[in-house]
Amino acid sequence: MLKITNLSKSFNEIIALDNVSLEINSGEFFGLLGPNGAGKTTLMNHIIGFLKSDSGEILLNNNAIKYGDKNIRYKIGYVPQEIALYQELSAYKNLKIFGSLFNLSKKELNKNIDKTLELVQLTDRKSSAVKEFSGGMKRRLNLAISILHNPEILLCDEPTVGVDPQSRNAIFEMLQELNQQGITIIYTTHYMEEAERLCNRLAIIDGGQIIASGSLMDLLNKLDSKETLKIHKTPESIELYEKLTKISTINEFDFKYELIPNKDFQKYSQLYKYFEEIGLPSDLIEISRASLEDVFLHLTGRRIRD
Amino acid sequence: MKNIFELIKKDFTRFVNDKTAVLLTFLVPAVLIIIFGNIFGGGGSSRGKANVIFVNKSNSEIAKIIEEKLDSSSSIRLVKKYRIEETDSIAEFTEEKAIEYIKAGKHPAAVVFPSDFLSDTSIAMNIKFYYDPRNEIESAIIQGGIQQTIFTQLPQIFPALLTRQANEFLGDEDGEGFRNEMADIVSSYFGVPKDSILNFTSSQISSGLSSEETSDSSSGSFIENLIKFDSVQLVGANLKNPQVTRIVGGWAIMFLLFTLTAIATSLFEEKQEGTLKRLLCMPVTRTEILLSKYYFSMALGIIQLMVLFVFSWAIFDVDIFSNFLNLIVVIVISASAAVSFGMIITAHATSISQANGVATLLILIMSAVGGSWFPTFLFPDWLQVVAKFTLTYWSVEAFQQIMWRQAELSAIYLNLIILIAISVIFNSYAVYRFNKGNIF
Repeated sequence: MLKITNLSKSFNEIIALDNVSLEINSGEFFGLLGPNGAGKTTLMNHIIGFLKSDSGEILLNNNAIKYGDKNIRYKIGYVPQEIALYQELSAYKNLKIFGSLFNLSKKELNKNIDKTLELVQLTDRKSSAVKEFSGGMKRRLNLAISILHNPEILLCDEPTVGVDPQSRNAIFEMLQELNQQGITIIYTTHYMEEAERLCNRLAIIDGGQIIASGSLMDLLNKLDSKETLKIHKTPESIELYEKLTKISTINEFDFKYELIPNKDFQKYSQLYKYFEEIGLPSDLIEISRASLEDVFLHLTGRRIRD
Repeated sequence: MKNIFELIKKDFTRFVNDKTAVLLTFLVPAVLIIIFGNIFGGGGSSRGKANVIFVNKSNSEIAKIIEEKLDSSSSIRLVKKYRIEETDSIAEFTEEKAIEYIKAGKHPAAVVFPSDFLSDTSIAMNIKFYYDPRNEIESAIIQGGIQQTIFTQLPQIFPALLTRQANEFLGDEDGEGFRNEMADIVSSYFGVPKDSILNFTSSQISSGLSSEETSDSSSGSFIENLIKFDSVQLVGANLKNPQVTRIVGGWAIMFLLFTLTAIATSLFEEKQEGTLKRLLCMPVTRTEILLSKYYFSMALGIIQLMVLFVFSWAIFDVDIFSNFLNLIVVIVISASAAVSFGMIITAHATSISQANGVATLLILIMSAVGGSWFPTFLFPDWLQVVAKFTLTYWSVEAFQQIMWRQAELSAIYLNLIILIAISVIFNSYAVYRFNKGNIF
């Protein structure tokens, strides 16, 4: 459905996209995962025809998406990172203003407004000024505007930034419902948990390059182990740091050490025996399932939010 | 105390970093002081001369002397000739042509020395003064300038006029006796020969005479009749509230500029709020967004001007209906030019604070220089030239012509062409910048 081939874009000296190639199928919930400044939004801006690439092409159903192409925007919905709403106007008026740009008949527009208000659970607040809304309500309205014209693809550029967990869950459910209705969703985020929860397929982007793509399992398979060993940072574990380096390579984070054991300490029994010998309290040890965070760390040597 | 010092330092740092605040705090008042200083004669530059049509129909020698003195006046520039466009030739002004020019607003006043300027038995100099008081100060300066020139440059003509006054009151015979007696007294007290006193007044009388001039004695007070100004207001005499009629256009265009520039710069707000990008990600082109802003601003500008004019009609009885259609044309074209000014500011600014700062600076300068606050004739010559580079000047002049003079559009075609040109050039450039993505 959407095919991106060798797409590159630079802003002066900064390379924002470097030879990006991707294929996204119809009906997929596709995640684009990467840290801030990785090139996620730049890629989105190219898909919507908002930016002109230096090289490469994007095809939607075999039709090239060109810079400034109005027609493509009837097929794509865009949920911006910012809460892009007229704050002094009501939810209904915001929907009406943006919806009226899609050449819908009055009847169809009103029907779609009612439908989306219901989907984002704002029907009873449709006459209230947006400035009176909570952050979560604004985010929901931000989403509603993007689907008024029944797009084939919905681009969601970090749509849950600054949202409380309850509202975030509500947005996830709405997006999953839209995906079930057949809308292809491309979702950028730097929250690994979101990507893991929502997406069938993912691409990890860093420094403008796609460094890995595939299903969650495909990505996790890039790790040597499906589990990670972490030790909480406390005065005791900090004191034992030197001794821990003798059996493993350590990635140090704010509150934890992540251990990648040497060849001689691949079994947990060997590790636990060593920890006992050096006097490391067992309640500081954490073994967990490997995540996309670990995949990113494995591929880049950095954590995604560093 | 240290804390207070640090907090003061913090405020200074923030102030210096806010370029708009710095601009409005120092540059705007400094520029306005320069303009005001020049208008009121400071800064070493003299006020510009007022152009006055001059027609001398008298053969009197005194009339010629006064003409020479007026030629060298520091406040008046005599215009004696005009160009005949049909034949591309130059001709001397006649009284009729002078009246035509004033009615058309090409010059503010005309001074005519009639054929009976100073006749055999005149006891006063007769001067005809035709004027268009679209600015009363200007008319007063012109009249005052003429009177001042005569009184200060030619004191020697007054003995002759005084002698005529004496003859008028006493009769020729008694007057002559009176003059002889006065000459005796002056001669005996001051040791001046009697003949020189008598010759002085006689020669001055004869130098001011011409055989063909006719007698036209006047009554009235003694001093007033020495110079008789026959003033004729050619324009605006029937207006109910001339003062407000004169200023309403100038103030309206200034506030129009503020309103419409704010709307144009609101694109920056939309950018900050993210709504601009959202619009650009919908089936809307950049040109459509800019044009919608333009048409909205135009509509609001027209409504604002209409409300201001209707208000001035309702409150001050300013006549807006006698020349209503032409007024509408000037309103629409002025609004278009004002919007384009806002667009060009938006096209070149990098932030809303920069746009607001530059816009405020330019609007205040254009209003001061372009005639919204003061008539431009008060400016030094160089500033009058600068005025013509502001859209305010062309708009204010057009409003004056339409409301004060009830002029037809043909009389202000140049104003309209310049305002339209400003609109087209500025807006085309703004659209070009916007489409290239240089702005947002």
